[in-house]
Amino acid sequence: MNIDSQLTGFERTNGRWGFRNYILLLPLHNALNQLVDEVRTSHPASPIITSVSHDWSGEVDRDWERIRRVFSGFAVNPNVGATIIVGIGTGDEESIVNAARSRRNMPINYLTLKDAGGFEKLRERIAQSVSEIFPSISQTVRTPAPWSALVLGLECGGSDAYSGITANPALGVASDKFVELGATSILAETMEILGAEHLLAARAKSPEVGQAIIDVVARYEQSITYEGIDIRGAQPSRGNIEGGLTTLEEKSLGAAKKAGNAPFTGVLDYAHLPTEPGLYFMDTPGHDIEQLTGFAAADVNITVFTTGRGTPTGSAVIPTIKVATNTEMALSLPDLIDLNAGTIADGTETVAEVGDRIFQEIIQVANGKLTAAEVGGHREFNLSRLYGSTQ
Amino acid sequence: MITGYRNNSRGVGVRSYQLILPSVVCSTHLARKVADQVGAISFAHQHGCGIIGPDVSGVNEFFVALAGHPNVQSTVVLGLGCETLQGNEVTESITKDYPETEYVVIQESAGMAGALDSSIATAKSLQGDAERVPLNALVIGIEGFPNPELLQQITEDIQGAGHSVVVANRYKESSRNFGDLVRAKCHLILSFPDPQQPPSGYPLIPVITIANAESPLHLALVQEFDCQSNVNRKDLFQKILDVANGEQSKSEAKKIGDIVVPRMVRSV
Repeated sequence: MNIDSQLTGFERTNGRWGFRNYILLLPLHNALNQLVDEVRTSHPASPIITSVSHDWSGEVDRDWERIRRVFSGFAVNPNVGATIIVGIGTGDEESIVNAARSRRNMPINYLTLKDAGGFEKLRERIAQSVSEIFPSISQTVRTPAPWSALVLGLECGGSDAYSGITANPALGVASDKFVELGATSILAETMEILGAEHLLAARAKSPEVGQAIIDVVARYEQSITYEGIDIRGAQPSRGNIEGGLTTLEEKSLGAAKKAGNAPFTGVLDYAHLPTEPGLYFMDTPGHDIEQLTGFAAADVNITVFTTGRGTPTGSAVIPTIKVATNTEMALSLPDLIDLNAGTIADGTETVAEVGDRIFQEIIQVANGKLTAAEVGGHREFNLSRLYGSTQ
Repeated sequence: MITGYRNNSRGVGVRSYQLILPSVVCSTHLARKVADQVGAISFAHQHGCGIIGPDVSGVNEFFVALAGHPNVQSTVVLGLGCETLQGNEVTESITKDYPETEYVVIQESAGMAGALDSSIATAKSLQGDAERVPLNALVIGIEGFPNPELLQQITEDIQGAGHSVVVANRYKESSRNFGDLVRAKCHLILSFPDPQQPPSGYPLIPVITIANAESPLHLALVQEFDCQSNVNRKDLFQKILDVANGEQSKSEAKKIGDIVVPRMVRSV
């Protein structure tokens, strides 16, 4: 594998590295979604502004700690140079802002509807704040970055029977190489290692980490069973079955291949940060966007997303590289896909060769090449909740 | 005397909107693009996949309530293809009662550009000017925390004129109470937000917001509300008639507020 390429990025005050340098507009109430979106699209600095929409309206319930962690972590993702948090003006919002400020010393402005005294004035204040921040953000330049700068997220969605023999093992080759070079790589989606957890636990660096992998899967299955639902009956999804997958265990064995063969350094709770380089498992839902949002809140700066059926989604702050598991889909949905691993099943490339292409693509995207999801303007963002909203 | 819109199978509404309904999170971005280009309503949500148990049927039922609302003239359902809640089945459960509904699926549309083109063509084929007809029986939702005296007075006035009232106050947040009022097919809503909550509207239903005089937040935002809490019953009733007849409420004019889809259990 050719490792002559050099990563370049933006070094942050907390030691993390970014591969993008966005101004993030983060609304903390669904009544502000529209307003924030209007500023993003109409401001002259629009190309470097990113923003999200969500359904939260300030409710503080049993998921509050999870919600606060996600908003505050998202605000300081290393791909963001400055963040404008837009709220109503409540103490709960301040607690999110304080949590963000404690994680990274960076420009974080907090603007509220209450202080502005109206929606129009708030819009003006957000636009003015962007204009003030823009010169310093646009003048920040990339510098050569060490391999440890990369925090790689591994994701799959819309899996099919090819996932476990083409795109996922090829991604595993790239992940192993980066881990060997000193980067961080994170496997996730607890549902999608269910049935394969013993194989992953056997690769743990210590017995404690191995037990943590077993425990996290057991805890997950219990929380679903608690709802009176048999997860093995609800999964694989109907799209997975149409793609040729038969059982959740088969899906899991294929999904786990994304993490290659490196040893596991640790297990992370949802949206929690890795503290040293290595391969990790993060406890996230299989829901593509909840996983991606949890990654963003944990300083992940590039994600590779393998897909069998084809899915367009991306993150507001993480470049997301789509790898097709089969050539037929790659050709039929060209504007969703960055790279085709279907050539392995076609017999025209080996797993190692596609792994090398993924490795090089990650470096290129880190250095500024836009992904299909970025070109398409995809900024999906979801709050993951462990409890329903109607209790 | 109220003049409404004959929205085909959905009944007579006070507005005539087209809804671009993403049946899964993966199609929400495309739905927004389509809606912007054809002058329709859409919204982002996180449902349709990675959902289990009661949320599968619950989310489907909520989508049917949105798509079949009397202020909606037609609906285009936009799916991805491989999701748990299959868009063609969502569409079937809507068309059963509301035939002016079509379905576009991304994975069979040759990519995002193809899906955008076919969605726009489909949406336009369903559009048309709704006939203006008398609307004699409004259903008015009252949400939040009105003072009891005003609530009683305005309820008397509404019912006395032959209209009906539905009250929703299960939640502190207006956007969540609005979900209950969609299911009740309310034509318009009087919203009395919690003192800690901002005035908020709803994309499919005009919302008249009334400030709470005890709330520092509401006092700071006084010009964003349609009325103050000391509004007299006659003026408030007239406001209802005006908005029903097409006058935009403040939240409606500024497009404040979003559609929130309720969920019952965790995602998977």
